[in-house]
Amino acid sequence: MGLIEIENLSVTFRAKGREVRAVEGVSLTVGERESYGLVGESGSGKSTILRAICGMAPVTGGQIRIGGEALRMPRGPGFSRRVQMVFQDPYASLHPRHTIDRTLSEPLAIHRIGGSDAKVVKALTDVGLPASFRFRYPHQLSGGQRQRVAIARALMLEPSILLLDEPTSALDASVQAEVLNLLTRLREERGLTFLMVSHDLAVIDHMCDRVLVMQHGRAVEELARDDLAAARMTTAYARSLFEASADRMLDPAKAP
Amino acid sequence: MSLLEVQNLRVTFDTETGPVQAVRGVSFSLGRERLGIVGESGSGKTMTGRSVLRLIRPPGRIAADRMVFDGQDLMRASERDMRALRGKRIGMVMQDPKYSLNPVMTVGEQLTEGLRRRDRIRGAEARAKAVAALEAVQIRDPDRVMAAYPHELSGGMGQRVMIAMMLIPEPDLLIADEPTSALDVTVQAEVLSILDALVRDRGMGLIFISHDLRLVGRFCDRVLVMFKGRVVEELEARRLTEARHPYTRGLLNCLPRIGGPREPLPGLDRSGDWAKEGAA
Repeated sequence: MGLIEIENLSVTFRAKGREVRAVEGVSLTVGERESYGLVGESGSGKSTILRAICGMAPVTGGQIRIGGEALRMPRGPGFSRRVQMVFQDPYASLHPRHTIDRTLSEPLAIHRIGGSDAKVVKALTDVGLPASFRFRYPHQLSGGQRQRVAIARALMLEPSILLLDEPTSALDASVQAEVLNLLTRLREERGLTFLMVSHDLAVIDHMCDRVLVMQHGRAVEELARDDLAAARMTTAYARSLFEASADRMLDPAKAP
Repeated sequence: MSLLEVQNLRVTFDTETGPVQAVRGVSFSLGRERLGIVGESGSGKTMTGRSVLRLIRPPGRIAADRMVFDGQDLMRASERDMRALRGKRIGMVMQDPKYSLNPVMTVGEQLTEGLRRRDRIRGAEARAKAVAALEAVQIRDPDRVMAAYPHELSGGMGQRVMIAMMLIPEPDLLIADEPTSALDVTVQAEVLSILDALVRDRGMGLIFISHDLRLVGRFCDRVLVMFKGRVVEELEARRLTEARHPYTRGLLNCLPRIGGPREPLPGLDRSGDWAKEGAA
């Protein structure tokens, strides 16, 4: 049994009398401590799945279960302690007028957890930031530092599942490497389960054990990591996505 | 003769704590070709692109020993002369359609604004030109897009609208600042082939600014690698994998690769002598 089970999920947005089916009949299962990737173009519904898990998208069909239990609306405090999300743009996801200290201690205050002073300092050190950053504002940090704060915030309640929505696509290449390394280390240390969205196949390949290719709101093909690297995909769409990423392949001459 | 020649370009910002140099002596020349400028945030690549159009506001200052576009000295040109160049002869595509298009004007109004104001072309004729430009960037239903507001378009469509807008006056030089970084790989490929066709068919010069080293290596003829306001390496794009400079090598190595090992990615080592303040 998987930790995250999504069965036949559909999400439909209604606006101006028009229906947009963002996700249609998608099923997937993520095991405990697994890292699972979602790839596809923008508009393929991959981020909508993450939002649906959090209760931030209008689910019109299917079921989402975490640890065997169907999720209820509203999600409630128990959900926040198990599942947290990291967003794409650290410039938009941190409150610009709150200090880092306030951003990090807010989840603790909401859940009435004490000892926030020590926990904030520890959270900062865990993501590789100096404790002196505590009383800074987001605009005083670089993009990579902000994303570290966003990760630290997501980990404040010690969740077991992290939903990662393009966590490095707003970052420079060298900063991306640092943040990916940080996520890998945190996953090992804390036994986290990742559900990660990216449009970059190389990032997904580096981080995930299995990947689901999506197009127009539907699941196209699920691939294990080895099959992805060996180009053993069966659908034309997954292949075209793979071929568009040809420059991200490991140079065969330099393979170990 | 080269289309654009830049010698020892410097951009300085006067701040409370003293002058900050964003660009420190960049020189290059450009023919009718695709020149890539790569670097990470803060390397000065965007400032270099904007300097060519003198689009740097105070407290920023531009200085150069020489900056000549098609025989015209850009350092001596009056503001009036610059306005005649901007858009008409040198176009610029900005990074993010979300911030660069006017949110309260329809795409059609924005596309025809230049034609109406600058070229005094009105009504049906202006509209026909705008629709043709949208078709040139592979937009399938131009009539719907003409009537749409920017928020009703996807990122890829918005980016193509901005490229179409820059192409209407048929510039000789296009400066594209991260034109594809907001796009998916497949859309990215389409936008690049549009730009490629323009360079080939119209003999346009292109300055392609990007943080994506692999993309630039695949798409451009020549690449300048910038770090802290300086060009640290200039090379032919197809020789990118033979780059010698530690910064270029570091940038190439820190990217994950499909089928690569699962060990931590090598970080970028900035401890070498080349990264020190004032190093050449």
